[in-house]
Amino acid sequence: MTLYEKIIAIYPELVDYDFAMRDITLQNDSDGKGDYIKEWNHPTLAKPTQEQLDGVQ
Amino acid sequence: MDGGIMSTVKSKKLQVGTDATASNNFTIYQPDTPDGTLKIGVGNADSPTEVAQVTSSGLSVTGNLSVTGSVPANTGPAFSAYLSANQTISSSTFTKVQFNTEEFDTNSNYDNATNYRFTPTVAGYYQINSSIRYDASTTPTRALISIYKNGSDFKRGNDLGNNSTQSVISTLIYFNGSTDYIECWVYITASTAVVGTAGPIFTYFQAHLARAA
Repeated sequence: MTLYEKIIAIYPELVDYDFAMRDITLQNDSDGKGDYIKEWNHPTLAKPTQEQLDGVQ
Repeated sequence: MDGGIMSTVKSKKLQVGTDATASNNFTIYQPDTPDGTLKIGVGNADSPTEVAQVTSSGLSVTGNLSVTGSVPANTGPAFSAYLSANQTISSSTFTKVQFNTEEFDTNSNYDNATNYRFTPTVAGYYQINSSIRYDASTTPTRALISIYKNGSDFKRGNDLGNNSTQSVISTLIYFNGSTDYIECWVYITASTAVVGTAGPIFTYFQAHLARAA
């Protein structure tokens, strides 16, 4: 499961626009370290904790 | 020097021509307050109209320039690189595209092995182009290119909707000639996000010096 899929599982109300227009920016530097949250500027939803992300199956 | 005789004339202005019509004469002169320029003007020495000036960095012409010989071409850095194989990425995640095959890289300023970035060593304004093909079979619903400058989202291309297959960007970016660099990143929303290739035709990244700093 990708980071994006985990975040959508936590916050199903998010839409693609939130990720494309810099409210939330997920990034992958193509350096083998995988996806990460670059920016989280969503006006109402809190950045998920690592514990929340790890809890998504 | 000829015959051991050398003379030096020191003057701020030298008028060439003594015609009664001032515009038939020329003046080579230094500004009233010397600033390192030598000016060439049309007219008498008392009121020349500047048409060109010479400095330590070269010649600049106020009006039109006509050259009957050849003009040296712009020899600034230029590169073009493409993907040699599809790159699968995570949906809705900005990902650096690994353009790993060079068509040309005139100044060895593009890194096609580790960081996939262009770091020109000549300061100036660079024309940047990129085109990316998406795998339509994965039914992408959104796709766009972003040129990152020094690690940050800097200029974006067209933002495509459903069943996108090809995105492009063309932009102009200033580089300081030492530390500034750019990379090409992509954002795709799809069941399986794939940056597609078909050799150098559809998915490429290019830049060249358009104007020196």
